Amino acid sequence: MSPATQDGRTGVDTGLGDRFKPSNVASGREDVPPLHDILEQTEAHVATRDFSIFYRDNEAVKKITMEIPMRLVTAIIGPSGCGKSTLLRAINRMNDLIPGCHTTGEMRFDGQDIYDKKIDVAILRRRVGMVFQKPNPFPKSIYDNVAYGPRLHGITRHSRLDEIVQRSLVQAALWEEVKDRLDTNGLGLSGGQQQRLCLARALAVDPEILLMDEPTSALDPRATTRIEDLIGELRGSYTIIIVTHNMQQAARVSDLTAFLYEGVLVEYGPTKQLFTKPREKQTEDYITGRFG
Amino acid sequence: MGMKARNLLDRLFSGVGVLAIVVMGLALVLILAPIFSRGAGAYIFKATVEHRRMLLERFERGNAEALAAEAEAVREARAPVYAMLARYAAEDLAGLSGREKREARQRLEEVEDILQELFGPMPGAATPVLPRQQYGATRWDRAEVKLDRLLYVETWDYSDSGSMGQQVLKPRREEFAGTALEPLFGYVETHLEAMLRPEWTFYWGFLTDSSFDAHIFGGIWPELVGTIYLTLGAMVFAVPLGIVSAIYFAEYAQEGRLVSLLRTCVSTLAGVPSIVFGLFGLAFFINTMHVSRSKSVLAGSLTLGMLILPTVIRAAEEAIRAVPHSYKEAAVGLGAGRWRTVVTVILPAALPGILTGTVISMGRAAGETAPIIFTAAVSVGKVLSPWETLTQPTPALSWNIYNLCTEHEAVDEIRHVQFGMAATLVLAVLLLNLVAIIMRARISNKLKG
Amino acid sequence: MGTPRSSRQSLVMSARANLAAALSRWLGNGLLLAITSVAAIGVLFILFFIARDAVPFFQLRGFKEFFTSTHWYPSQEPVEFGALSIFVGSGLVTLGAALVAAPLGVAAALCLSDVLPFGVRQAVKPVIEMLAAIPSVAYGFFALVVFAPWLQRLGAITGTNALNVSIILGIMALPTVVSVSEDALQAVGRELREGSYALGATRAETLLRTIVPAASSGILAAVLLGIMRALGETMVVWMASGNAAQIPDPWFNFLEPVRTLTATIAGDMGEADHVTGSARYHVLFAMGLCLLLFCFACNLISEWVVSIQRRKLKGE
Repeated sequence: MSPATQDGRTGVDTGLGDRFKPSNVASGREDVPPLHDILEQTEAHVATRDFSIFYRDNEAVKKITMEIPMRLVTAIIGPSGCGKSTLLRAINRMNDLIPGCHTTGEMRFDGQDIYDKKIDVAILRRRVGMVFQKPNPFPKSIYDNVAYGPRLHGITRHSRLDEIVQRSLVQAALWEEVKDRLDTNGLGLSGGQQQRLCLARALAVDPEILLMDEPTSALDPRATTRIEDLIGELRGSYTIIIVTHNMQQAARVSDLTAFLYEGVLVEYGPTKQLFTKPREKQTEDYITGRFG
Repeated sequence: MGMKARNLLDRLFSGVGVLAIVVMGLALVLILAPIFSRGAGAYIFKATVEHRRMLLERFERGNAEALAAEAEAVREARAPVYAMLARYAAEDLAGLSGREKREARQRLEEVEDILQELFGPMPGAATPVLPRQQYGATRWDRAEVKLDRLLYVETWDYSDSGSMGQQVLKPRREEFAGTALEPLFGYVETHLEAMLRPEWTFYWGFLTDSSFDAHIFGGIWPELVGTIYLTLGAMVFAVPLGIVSAIYFAEYAQEGRLVSLLRTCVSTLAGVPSIVFGLFGLAFFINTMHVSRSKSVLAGSLTLGMLILPTVIRAAEEAIRAVPHSYKEAAVGLGAGRWRTVVTVILPAALPGILTGTVISMGRAAGETAPIIFTAAVSVGKVLSPWETLTQPTPALSWNIYNLCTEHEAVDEIRHVQFGMAATLVLAVLLLNLVAIIMRARISNKLKG
Repeated sequence: MGTPRSSRQSLVMSARANLAAALSRWLGNGLLLAITSVAAIGVLFILFFIARDAVPFFQLRGFKEFFTSTHWYPSQEPVEFGALSIFVGSGLVTLGAALVAAPLGVAAALCLSDVLPFGVRQAVKPVIEMLAAIPSVAYGFFALVVFAPWLQRLGAITGTNALNVSIILGIMALPTVVSVSEDALQAVGRELREGSYALGATRAETLLRTIVPAASSGILAAVLLGIMRALGETMVVWMASGNAAQIPDPWFNFLEPVRTLTATIAGDMGEADHVTGSARYHVLFAMGLCLLLFCFACNLISEWVVSIQRRKLKGE
């Protein structure tokens, strides 16, 4: 079953035709449009301006201005400690959990500054879902894991919950493996299955954006491939922002790539271009493995 | 210093450490062994026919027909004794007069008293008022002690003024040499079994029977129930309060002056001597708040609850902090607020740890004595109904162990009850701890995966 | 071009919702803080209510007699409340307990943290936990019914004396001393140990010259907490100390019976609690206050000492 048929998203036109299928990037075609063309043709879903993140006095992310287009896959790469995870977690305000963390500048989602006092963080996080580095299912049943979000947002009817759980598990390509044991503990699954469960859990609240924080770093190559395939399938329905330290992965799955170094956005552009013809010396040094 | 000497010192050092641990283990064994081995004697012992008669008459347990047959056999075995007594009174005593007669009568009364302790009231005598005089020796071990007293007169020899008096045992038979009573002693010694018919018995009623006549007969049910009431009551107050406080400390509190002050207060509370809790319970809960007119289970539970509160808080906070941070992230990432995260994810995951801490503090509450002396405990009482706990004091295992071995009128008569109570209490507390240890092991296994 | 889903909930809360959310957050935090404070304020309550009933005693009788006289005749006229011998009794058995528990406990902690293999350590842990779990009244029962006759058989005039109580209190304080000092030893960290071993030191040398000095404040805190436990213990001393209000002669004669603060409170309240308001009642609170203040001091010192060690290990 195609995941997108569930809510009729099949065929949603991203406005970019086939040109930005990940396979196109990988196939080495040269006709990559410049970044401003992409951003003109699609709407910016998340936009930052002079956005900085501080841990107490330490500026971890420095004055970043970027626009992330809707329904494409954007990768954020950079050496560890460069602030890429911090930036990602700022998009649904997960950094609120860290004492002493504060921000300056603007971060807009759907045109709304999410660091405004009036923002309902619960709704923000519902619309901006997240998958974490290590699979972190709750010590509950598979069903309860997926239903956790919908229940949180007030859905209690069983038939509706059943439907959502099935759809989410199908979308995360886990349904066939677990449909007979939905009431077993989510921690009993393999690592790769756990991560797909977490993906299903994030999808169950029907978000617009999926944030993925190195989602495959704890997985074996096979499970990694499955997750990457899934990203390809979800592309076009969701805006996906993925942080990865694996440059091959960024090249395989993303349309756009941002390179962060020591909290500064060094370069941001179509993946193909960034990996083949980087404009900045630092980017070139990084992708050719001279540091990081 | 040479290498050899250094190595020797090293060995010596390790030896001292190991010795310390061995001493610790030995202390544990030395303390528990007598309590458990003699405590078992309250449950398993050689019970005499008097015990069975007591059970049937007081608790309506046992086989009436079999007992009637037994009583008949016993009466036959005892008959010669009473016959000898009657003959002594008729033949020997009648021939005496004046001081001699008085002294002889006194000696006879001593024998009669011991016989009554052994076999109960004499045939034909009026039923005595005190239950302890209505039944003979119910336990064979007590009967043997009494037999010794029957056979020997205890006197003290003070001839050596340099040391303390020496105990001298003189056969009582000599006092009655040449009289009709002389053969009695030999007869009782050889026929005691036939007269009391001891049988190995497992007396489960020790746990579930009420006691009467100051614990000389019966079990420890009221004390047990009192302890359970007090313990549960303490948990009712301490556990919710403790968990909420732990949630605050672990999830909400932002480290600062106020929070560190609160923490210091809690740890100080843990160091308050238990007797001071008792004083406080009396001064605050009873004399100031008037939760009850005088001692009550309620006041005792409140006091015990305060006593175990720091333990519960510490255990719950540790358990909450042990919940992986990733659970919290996942819940918050789905849009759960702080309270929702705590209730739906963190508490369920921390529950086994919290329960472990709770079970350990239950053991603590069950065993504490000093806080309930002035707030809840009485020496003798009946089983309370749940609503009576609000106003009535109760006996409790811990308090009655103290009470029975220091303030009881016949301390030696009821050693088995004291040991039985102590063993029951210690066993209950250790079992609670064992449950906690097993739960903790299972949690750590689960976290390891 | 996919339209932004217009059916989506708006991110912005209405002013009312915003206020409600802020209010409920504020209220929730306040409520939690209040409940937590109940637990914490408890200790202040205890101090207040003990002090409130202790003050009338000092008003009635002054300080001098209580702290300097040894004449303790609370029930016969003319009443005398000289508690010096009782203070000495408490001090004596606490000293005795410390003499038993400190060396034994620290040696056991060293052995547990650095000598024994992991498996054996796991087996010893339950022994310590069981020692800690046994109710004090059971210890007292043992001291009175089993241990005292043993001592008497060994030649003591009476088995219920300071020695008996000191040994039993020492055993009761052991778990605290062992576990707190083991924590302190563990906190020292491997680097220091490895550094010492690398220089060719034997285990004993490493422990005595490097680890113990580094953990000394934690060990001190452990002994203090053990002393607190011994001083505050009631049942054992009440049952097995002999309860004679006298200063032993000479003062360190552990074979004589003594009387302690806790036992006096426990024993005398039974006769005094009907006459609340009398000096007889208030003197017991005065004793409770002294106990409480001493334990507060011990607790604060041990916390302070531990924080010093933590800072020292952090290298601040």
